[in-house]
Amino acid sequence: MLSPAAAAPDFPRPRRKRQIQQGARELLAPYAYVSPFFVLFLIFGLFPLLFTFYISLFEWDPIGEHHFVGLANFSELAHDPRFWGALRNTFSIWVLSTVPQLLLALGLAHLLNHARLRLATLFRMSVLVPYVTSVAATTIVFAQMFDRDYGMINWFLQLLGFRHIDFTASLWGSHIMIATMIAWRWTGYNTLLYLASLQAVPRELFEAAAADGASGWKQFLHVTIPSLRPIIAFTVVTSTIGGLQVFTEPLLANPVSGLTCGAARQCQTVTLYLYEQSFGQFHFGYGAAVGVALFVLVVAFSGINYLLATRIGSERP
Amino acid sequence: MKRVLTTAAIIATAALLVAGCGGSGGKSDSKTFEFWSFANINQKADVDVYTKAHPDVHVKLTEVGTTTETAQALTAALAGGKVPDLVLIQADDLPKFMQSPDNFVDLTTLGAGNIKGNYLDWVMAQSTTKDGKIIGVPTDVGGLAVAYRTDLFKAAGLPTNGAEVSELWPTWDDFINVGKTYVQKTGKPFVDNTPTSVFFQAVNQGSERYYRADHQLDYDNAQVKAAFDVTLKAFAAGISAKQGSFSSGWTAAMKKGDYAVVCSPSWMLSQMKTNAPETNGKWDIATIPGGSGNWGGSFLAIPKRAKNAKAAWNYISEMQSPQGQLAHFVAQGSLPTTPSVYTDPQLVGKTDPFFNNAPIGKIYTQSVLGIKPFYFGPLDGPIGTEFLNTLTSVEQGKVDPANAWNTALANVKNAVRG
Repeated sequence: MLSPAAAAPDFPRPRRKRQIQQGARELLAPYAYVSPFFVLFLIFGLFPLLFTFYISLFEWDPIGEHHFVGLANFSELAHDPRFWGALRNTFSIWVLSTVPQLLLALGLAHLLNHARLRLATLFRMSVLVPYVTSVAATTIVFAQMFDRDYGMINWFLQLLGFRHIDFTASLWGSHIMIATMIAWRWTGYNTLLYLASLQAVPRELFEAAAADGASGWKQFLHVTIPSLRPIIAFTVVTSTIGGLQVFTEPLLANPVSGLTCGAARQCQTVTLYLYEQSFGQFHFGYGAAVGVALFVLVVAFSGINYLLATRIGSERP
Repeated sequence: MKRVLTTAAIIATAALLVAGCGGSGGKSDSKTFEFWSFANINQKADVDVYTKAHPDVHVKLTEVGTTTETAQALTAALAGGKVPDLVLIQADDLPKFMQSPDNFVDLTTLGAGNIKGNYLDWVMAQSTTKDGKIIGVPTDVGGLAVAYRTDLFKAAGLPTNGAEVSELWPTWDDFINVGKTYVQKTGKPFVDNTPTSVFFQAVNQGSERYYRADHQLDYDNAQVKAAFDVTLKAFAAGISAKQGSFSSGWTAAMKKGDYAVVCSPSWMLSQMKTNAPETNGKWDIATIPGGSGNWGGSFLAIPKRAKNAKAAWNYISEMQSPQGQLAHFVAQGSLPTTPSVYTDPQLVGKTDPFFNNAPIGKIYTQSVLGIKPFYFGPLDGPIGTEFLNTLTSVEQGKVDPANAWNTALANVKNAVRG
């Protein structure tokens, strides 16, 4: 490309002007380099977000008419039992999946970090397999395992002399089923995050603790957890954001009932309700209002969890 | 500075390209058109027939996904994307699009007025606006019938011949009684489930569904209540296997013969063949209890912004002619909407070996003749889903049958946001 700078030598310009040009270029260059992200973020991140706020003030048919209704969608939302049900389901599934998942990941990371572990790389890589498996495939397999009459879990329960459980039909059953799918997918991912951080912890710390007579459990409690504090805070926040936006699992777990995840909406999450309203019934305005409510919740809970998680292990005995 | 501007321009251009605002590329070719269909109904066979007869025409067929996904993709396209020239819309999704007919070509401008008499008038009415615009041409209807297992019926001491079985259940109450007999003899459930196999059939047999004839919403009416009550009665009789239609348990139970009866609209036959190929020849078809009815069917429409509406229309007028629909039925099995072929020997003589050579053409066309047409409104889909879901909750023991009707009405009220 022929730029003025390249063509300049034969036609010297006044020195000062060139210097100013040079300075401006150096000043702007970094912004140009980082701009691709921000341009894309503006188009695909910020604009849809702001547009969602805008649409939520309308009765908005995507292929028909738009009527401004002010905050009517939000006041309707406040009295909508389906929305509150979806919120309850979302929190229940989030707690049921996140807590065991992160605890399990911590334990696994501690084990995988053990100095005398054989085939360490094999084990470390294999925890990531569920993560790289397609969510749809995982969900379909799990849904079959939890089937009322022909599922493997109920077959096992029957062997042990218990009655069959209709997981998908009941509130807790369906929540446990979906939480299991989420935990299955994300435990390995979080394990690797913890492991990577653990490897950065100086081995001397563990050796010193061992020399002081600390058991494995004590080492875990007093060395592993405090040194992982920043990454624990990170995983808690990402799990919160992810957990409050769970969509594919409830969508596919109970496909018979369409977008409600069960006849009584027993496992319909907020995002699935948003999708049902917007794309199932074309109430874009109302769906957008659900989205705004979800946005506020995610921001609030991520903040609270961040504050809580940064305190983990900070009080030394 | 100029370099910075150039860089910014490149980035902006790239971003625009990424955003897909590339503008309309290429000139429109009058021999090419784009066609969006659902998956699993083999529109490709039709397209192949057409392109064989017209080698100069090129049809770009896209199988979008399920009927619902196709309607969703169409909505997004109509709202501001690239639209196809021709699109298939399922009957339950059509009322939503009929709310905004300006998104589609009025087919009377292309000559639909001359051929509308070929189709069942109550089907044509679904795609005709109040002021006489025609938005879609019907491709098929979903006549009703009952698929039953001859081997299991025999074991229960019931007749196995299609005509005799049909005589067992002129009404839904008779159907329930046969079910009770079956359960007594075999100790196994009779019908796959009651919400789909009873309610969704019975509610489509009335003269009014969720709207009055004057298009006013009226789901709390005697006919819907009667269909709802007969479903509760069937459930209380203990004849249901409680396998939700299309679920994995439903498929597994179908293979294992854990229920003997599925109420099967014409479009469900091919799904049964795919789901349970090992039951080939063990099924037969009997008439539906309770009289004529229809569930399902589809329409072909042309979006307003289509580049090549004429080519799409040529396809519709040729493939959806009475002879075209008859040929499609003989090859694929979905029921024509053109009554003039209902007496054609090819249709009357059509049998299906999977269903013990049952005369499916005859049985299904009879179920759509003498139908009492009702108005399809934009909220039919969500209302039907809420009724079905409440009845499913009853089967799952989550809703007390005594409260079911009130629960259903409350759920419907939420769904229609009334």
